Amino acid sequence: MESILLWLAAILIAPFFSALILKVKAFFGGKKGPPLLINYYTLIKLFKKGSVYSNSTTFVFKLGPIVSCCTALTVLLFLPIAGFDPVFSFKGDVILVLYLLGLGRFFTIAAAMDTASPFEGMGAAREAYFPILCEAAMFMILIFFYRITGMVQLSAFFAGAGTAGLWQAAGAPLIFIVIALFIILLTENSRVPVDDPATHLELTMIHEVMVLDHSGPDFALIELGSFCKLFFYSAIISRLAFPFDTGIAGYNLGIFALVTGCVYLVVGVTESVIARYRMDKVPQFVLTSFALAFFATIITMEFIK
Amino acid sequence: MSQFFLAVITILCGGLFSLVLTGNKTLSRSIGVILISAGSLWGLLSSATSLMTGGEGVAAFSFLNVFEFVFRMDGLSAFFLMAIFLVCLVAAIYSYHYMDGHGSALGTAANYFFFSVLAASMALVVTAGNMISFLISWEIMSLSSFFLVIYNYQSEESRKAGFMYFVFSHVGVVFLFAGFGLMYGVTGTFGFDAAGAMPEGIKLAVFILTFIGFGSKAGVFPFHVWLPHAHPAAPSHISAVMSGCMIKTGIYGIFRVYTLLGLTTPAAGYLVLIAGIVSGILGVAYALGQNDIKRMLAYSSIENIGIILIGTGVGMTGVATGNSLMAALGFAGGMLHVLNHAVFKSLLFMGAGMVLHKTGTRSIDALGGLLKSMKITGTAFIVGSLAISGLPPFNGFVSEFFIYLGSFNGVGLSGGALVAGLCAIVSLAVIGGLALACFTKIIGIAFQGEPRTDAAVDKNEKGATMLLSMVALALACAVIGIFPAAFLNMALMAVGSLGLNMADIPLAPFGELTSNITFGAFIFLVLFILVAGIRALAYRGKPLAKSGTWGCGFTQPTVKMQYTGASYSGSILELFGPAVPVAEDHPPIQGRFPEKTYYKSQVNDVAEEQMNRRVVNPVLFFFDRLRWIQHGDTHLYIGYILLAIVLLLFFV
Amino acid sequence: MILHPVDTLLSLVLLSILFSYGAGRVPILIKLLAFQGIVVSLVPLFTGHDMEGGSTVFTIITLAIRGIIIPLSIHLAIKKVAIQRELSAIVGYKASIICGLVLIVAATAISSHLNLAAVSNFRLLFPAAISLLVTGMFLLMARRNAIAMVIGYIMMENGIYLMGSTFSVRARHIVEFGILLDVLAGVMIMAIILQNIKQTFDDVDTAHLRTLKE
Repeated sequence: MESILLWLAAILIAPFFSALILKVKAFFGGKKGPPLLINYYTLIKLFKKGSVYSNSTTFVFKLGPIVSCCTALTVLLFLPIAGFDPVFSFKGDVILVLYLLGLGRFFTIAAAMDTASPFEGMGAAREAYFPILCEAAMFMILIFFYRITGMVQLSAFFAGAGTAGLWQAAGAPLIFIVIALFIILLTENSRVPVDDPATHLELTMIHEVMVLDHSGPDFALIELGSFCKLFFYSAIISRLAFPFDTGIAGYNLGIFALVTGCVYLVVGVTESVIARYRMDKVPQFVLTSFALAFFATIITMEFIK
Repeated sequence: MSQFFLAVITILCGGLFSLVLTGNKTLSRSIGVILISAGSLWGLLSSATSLMTGGEGVAAFSFLNVFEFVFRMDGLSAFFLMAIFLVCLVAAIYSYHYMDGHGSALGTAANYFFFSVLAASMALVVTAGNMISFLISWEIMSLSSFFLVIYNYQSEESRKAGFMYFVFSHVGVVFLFAGFGLMYGVTGTFGFDAAGAMPEGIKLAVFILTFIGFGSKAGVFPFHVWLPHAHPAAPSHISAVMSGCMIKTGIYGIFRVYTLLGLTTPAAGYLVLIAGIVSGILGVAYALGQNDIKRMLAYSSIENIGIILIGTGVGMTGVATGNSLMAALGFAGGMLHVLNHAVFKSLLFMGAGMVLHKTGTRSIDALGGLLKSMKITGTAFIVGSLAISGLPPFNGFVSEFFIYLGSFNGVGLSGGALVAGLCAIVSLAVIGGLALACFTKIIGIAFQGEPRTDAAVDKNEKGATMLLSMVALALACAVIGIFPAAFLNMALMAVGSLGLNMADIPLAPFGELTSNITFGAFIFLVLFILVAGIRALAYRGKPLAKSGTWGCGFTQPTVKMQYTGASYSGSILELFGPAVPVAEDHPPIQGRFPEKTYYKSQVNDVAEEQMNRRVVNPVLFFFDRLRWIQHGDTHLYIGYILLAIVLLLFFV
Repeated sequence: MILHPVDTLLSLVLLSILFSYGAGRVPILIKLLAFQGIVVSLVPLFTGHDMEGGSTVFTIITLAIRGIIIPLSIHLAIKKVAIQRELSAIVGYKASIICGLVLIVAATAISSHLNLAAVSNFRLLFPAAISLLVTGMFLLMARRNAIAMVIGYIMMENGIYLMGSTFSVRARHIVEFGILLDVLAGVMIMAIILQNIKQTFDDVDTAHLRTLKE
């Protein structure tokens, strides 16, 4: 029961965290920035509106937002939040989670291609490209976790004493994993230096250009989905960064929220201090995360013999 | 066994009657379709029953007291029979409207005749119980499919594809002969049973020889060259049969030889795994580079053969290291993928066939927006694409899931098994991502957006039997994906006859895993309905406007501005560098008033180029030198015959 | 103790190695080198051999030279001759990263075969040292830019230092120090030669040196 509440809380709080990034970027730009609740206002505004559909689109265009939002919500169901048990958990659930994210991507791309817009096609091609490497890196990380825990299950890595166990078994290589996960976070969620969510030129966008034609509640679903997806990755990193259990549920939650906030702050700082890569440099950047994870696995083999 | 033979005979009758009744075109076609599909249905039911009950059967016929034909059905045969009969059934139904007004009456009848022979011979291949019956059925299968490939014999392209297929299948058979010959030389019998007693070195040699032979039929990477030529040339229901089950007979052969030999060296497992990884990754990379819808599907078959081999390799490594769970997971995943691929690949070929039938073009860059005029075809194609990309809740996910779990079991070990598991997982992940890119390309360019040329404007999707078979296959994708338990049990029955010690395999986790997949699919579907409900609520009573696509400020968009297939896949292919070379032809724009220019790009198959350079050209050169033998003088030829007889008398 | 200091430091060394395969510009490579120099010099402080006053001083001086003076002098040399910042790789960067992974795996495999007694305390030390050696070699081979070659050479030296820090020989610091001074001198000479190459060929691409062949 409490895990379902946590799930709902995570969905509700995800837009708030995303606003932190905007705030940090505004701070670096010497601006005041939007209010912290900006994303809620946007979502409410979008839900109130109607929609305009392109003449070129079919039912796939309407299916896209539903599937991408729904996969993000499903994925959160399997995520242990703040070390609590997730709502559902079974052997091999990580593979299902990663492939569900793939399903969401499939429909986002399909919805973008549905509009016949050359810009959206461009974004779609990039969206299809970069996650290939991300997925390889993600599975490499799973291999790393498997070497330590002998399980392929999110709750074995991030719930209860699991995470602390990871640090105990392979402290130093786990730093690499955290960095690799952070790179994956930036790539999968279309942040700088891979993609600039705030850019104004459609040619250089990836994710934003794919959803150009969505409007109203459809767009709200997409936004909600992407907040949840970002929260998914951030929660994993934050759990790895603070693996301890204070013994009191309230403290655990508080610290978790704090650390997660910090992850978002780091994303914001990264966005402020790093320029966006040239498109052909991105694969190399993502490949680095694969290399890090691979590396960590090799090192772990030295540790656990 | 008698049920099985009756089914095969029914199928053969279908082809024969169709040929006899050539005079009446509709009757000939109908009788072909009805008898072939009835026979397939019969065979499907009987093989499914024998798989469920674990029944085994043997039948032997003696020929001239010299040869003995033995046919034997066990779990492995029954599983492959199921896939074969399923695809043939659906393909036969599909063909009724597909062959409508397609060529001459004799051509159609011949097509049904060879189709029935192909179906029957495939069924005989997977039940053959000794070398003689195996090789004869194999040869009939190769020949009948060759005639199907050159169905469209007027076109140069088809003839070339047919020739290439002919050469490849016979070079492959030579390797099979070598392997089986070696086996015969050591055991002294045409039977398969004594093979397990051979020395280890011989076993490995036989395995490698037959692996090359079977690999060339299955489309394993360097021997796949015929496949992207032959599949587009054949009529679409034949492509579905060839891709869905004929190439799987190669996989069956690998399984069968592996079982007979009882190989325990890890080397065989690594060989299969490496072949699988190379075929998988390069297959899908080449698929991504194609702009011909059927060539793309053909390359994607190579990819899926790769996935099957990865599963098999993981299983074999599991056997070699004594990890029975890894073995069972790997084999079961690979086996299930055989069935899954048969289902979704025939679905996709049928969808492509519908597109080809209505628009007359296979080039995706000439299409676009078909989803609006071909709703059912398009939706079925999307389902097939989701399944082939391995996405839940469809069937491709299930088999990949098991292969992943098997590989993770390997990662937990040390040494070779660890490396094998690691490579398998990473390459599966890459293949998954590339397949997603490949099939979003095909859907995005051909089915979505706006029509690029007139070929795609105002089309319909008439042809009830074609639609029926596609819908049935799409449903099968979803059913296997959501309720995999029964199908996994069948796969496990097939794995059971691989000669593993079934008592060692913990079967309990499998039930749990399948129920988990069902559970996960249900969670997803419930949430999907929930979100869709919220969306419907949010849109209640709202105004919905229609308008043009947002052109980012550009006011004169044309359909030509849409993203093309080459541009979609261009940057991804760069990642592969020289392994997937893209040849571009683009005269630059010159002068103040530039002339019209064009852009052409093509992905060249490295294996084909190398094979041309290193094998075909030297062979041609060599035989050019021997031209003088063919003198043209009849007397000389009689002399040759005499010489041959004398030589034979001396040596034999 | 979750984070063992030596292992952490060595992981950071490996991290810098990994990034150096993907680094496309000279300034990034120099920063990596500085970082690596500092981390490598810190390792002996934690390995626990004869930590007397003298050796600590030696360590700190090593750190200063390795982490600050050498990178700084290379940096200044670049600034002075104002050369291009691209590394002009012979082997592409994506391929380099893959190469790097393979080399590191090989290094790990080799070190597990050698199995020295002194190494067994710090499992990462030997793999890290060998990786440094091969990485230096790789940079020497796969990059055309002269600076990258110099940096590759210094990385190899870092590797030798790391390997040396496992042996608890008393006189080791003196030997080490001698080598370090040699390297320092080498870097200085390099700066001068660079200037000469630049003047002669207007570039520091070592491919031009081929024209000196008769």
